[in-house]
Amino acid sequence: MAKKIRQIAIYGKGGIGKSTTTQNLTAGLAEAGKKVMVVGCDPKADSTRLLLGGLAQRTVLDTLRDEGEDISLDLIMKEGYKHTRCVESGGPEPGVGCAGRGIITSIGLLERLGAYTKDLDYVFYDVLGDVVCGGFAMPIREGKAKEIYIVASGEMMALYAANNIAKGIERYAKQGGVRLGGIICNSRNVDRENDLLRAFSEELGTQLVHFIPRDNIVQRAEIRKKTVIDYKPDCNQANEYRALAKRIAENKKFVIPKPMKQERLEEILTEFGLMAEIGDEYAI
Amino acid sequence: MHDFLVDTNKFKRTNTIVHPRYGCAIGAVYSVVAIPGGVPIANCGPGCADKQFFMMCGENGYQGTNGAGAGAMPSANVGENEIVFGGTKKLDALIKSALRIMKGDIFVVVTGCSGELVGDDVGSVVRRYQKAGKPVVFADAAGFKGNNVTGHEIVVKEIIDQFVGEYRGRKQKGLLNLFFEVPYFNTNWRGDFIEMKRVLEGAGLRVNVLFGPESRGVAEWKDIPKAQFNLVVSPWVGISTAEYLKGKYNQPYLHVPIIPVGEEATTEFVRSVVGFAGIDPKKSEEFIEKEAKLYYYFLEHFTEFFSEFWFGLPSRFAIASDAATNLALTKFLADQMGVIPVRQIITDNPPEKFREGIRRLYENITEGVSAEVDFIEDGYVIEREIKNADFRGAVPLILGSTWEMDVAAELKGLLVRVGTPNTEEVVMNRSFIGYRGALTFMEKVYTAAVGGGS
Repeated sequence: MAKKIRQIAIYGKGGIGKSTTTQNLTAGLAEAGKKVMVVGCDPKADSTRLLLGGLAQRTVLDTLRDEGEDISLDLIMKEGYKHTRCVESGGPEPGVGCAGRGIITSIGLLERLGAYTKDLDYVFYDVLGDVVCGGFAMPIREGKAKEIYIVASGEMMALYAANNIAKGIERYAKQGGVRLGGIICNSRNVDRENDLLRAFSEELGTQLVHFIPRDNIVQRAEIRKKTVIDYKPDCNQANEYRALAKRIAENKKFVIPKPMKQERLEEILTEFGLMAEIGDEYAI
Repeated sequence: MHDFLVDTNKFKRTNTIVHPRYGCAIGAVYSVVAIPGGVPIANCGPGCADKQFFMMCGENGYQGTNGAGAGAMPSANVGENEIVFGGTKKLDALIKSALRIMKGDIFVVVTGCSGELVGDDVGSVVRRYQKAGKPVVFADAAGFKGNNVTGHEIVVKEIIDQFVGEYRGRKQKGLLNLFFEVPYFNTNWRGDFIEMKRVLEGAGLRVNVLFGPESRGVAEWKDIPKAQFNLVVSPWVGISTAEYLKGKYNQPYLHVPIIPVGEEATTEFVRSVVGFAGIDPKKSEEFIEKEAKLYYYFLEHFTEFFSEFWFGLPSRFAIASDAATNLALTKFLADQMGVIPVRQIITDNPPEKFREGIRRLYENITEGVSAEVDFIEDGYVIEREIKNADFRGAVPLILGSTWEMDVAAELKGLLVRVGTPNTEEVVMNRSFIGYRGALTFMEKVYTAAVGGGS
């Protein structure tokens, strides 16, 4: 039987660390010998910087605008760390046009140009912020990404966003094969973060795939335009990302999420937030 | 009968309609074409502009344009690039080219769905031209805002706002602005505007008709604020404009909901407008006398046929058309010709707030005759309703559009085309309204009755 490409979309609140997580995770997979393509679906076009060692890439939409549709794949696809293939969808200038449609256009172009070759093991879509409209849901529509991971932290707004994204996934899951693979916690050192994320994941009907501790080595690697695995392969944080890559590679639990009502989400937040407070004040 | 068509709220809007009878808001590009010297700039996809051409102009009496419509219309031909990156750059280039190539006194950028969905800031592009003194106006007429009638009202308001501008001078007694049929959409609009102007001027008034062959173009639009009052001759189209002008230029308005057809209605119309204007009725009474004499000269001759020809004259009729035409012709046939209205269907989707008022106009439309009216847009339901109408064995007279050909044939009825689409007639200077148009309308109906084809 022909090998199937695992197409995976990473969603999460803006600024939560989707791009950092995606690139470190793909570095882990690439290091293990997997063939990976990363498609940045964000007009800021910063989803492949760490893999490529800089923001040198022309985006699909810039190329489309300047050269038209008659282009070759190598104009928009560059090879990065350990042969990862990197593409940035890009987008219009801020405040004009429709970035959502831009993603639809660029994924369509990638398909036409034959970017999805059979030797690929994984395609990752790193998608901007929330699922604000149909365009940003493009990677999870039928025939594209079947697995989704949401990056979150213990901060309230990150969980609100994650729950909202779950609503989008639920809609598409009912129509097709897309499933939620789990929540990835990119820790912000919030009180009882691990417990909160576990409870939140459970309530959504999914799992906490991995808890990535906060470590400034990530920022130090970013300044050097590298993933942690590339920058300091022997450090603890590199092992955390390798562990995440392994969890995702071995993951078998894919669900249709059960997004919470606003009230229930507030309840969970209060429960863990307040208990932590009480714990502080009445420490024995 | 399909379950989804069963009416709970009388004629509940069906979710799919066949036989479209109006265009979308971007069809208002043809309101611009109707202004002498007006050049529309269609800021939409090529298909949108093309579709509007068929519904408004082509398959509606093959009306033709003055060279700035149909295939010669400047169009942004919005494509995927303009969706993703925004369409303002292309639009800017298009306006520049249009100003260079097209001869025009006013250019109106009419923006359709795509530009409005992606949030193109068309205003900022057009305002640059306005600051440079170019006669360019923009109107947001996305199809999702409504049909071409809605679009027409949007375009009229924007031209007044951005092109006519402020005015604090004196008003001229006896000068009025006419808000009447929707150009192109109403198949006979050109002839009707000519007749309406003739009647009003005959009565001693001066008229800014704003559209059609007898409009003075932009000079006339600039005179809008000078008018003593606004005259709305339509069940609902133009009321929002008149309300707007009431606030903007402190102009009162007279609303005549039923377009007058025939001597009695037109004479009454003239007297009410002259009364509202407060001008000396001497001229209007002379005009009325002259017109009535001519009208009844023909009617007298007609009665010989009407009373002696016994076979196949219609005694009952159904009509499916826009509200303005529907009211005008129902009133005339019922009130003047003694033909009984059995099924009145309004197809142009008037706003909810006007519907009850329109419905009331059909009550006692003539002495002892009330008609029920329904608002239906779906051709499937319209056909069914006409089929179920009670013509009592008389030859059915059906006033409608080309879409009614099948049902008319099935009922062995007479079809007179009174609205779009109309693909079996070439219409130029034709009118069914006023003193003169009424005679043409009678010719049309009774020619069909004596076998002159329909």
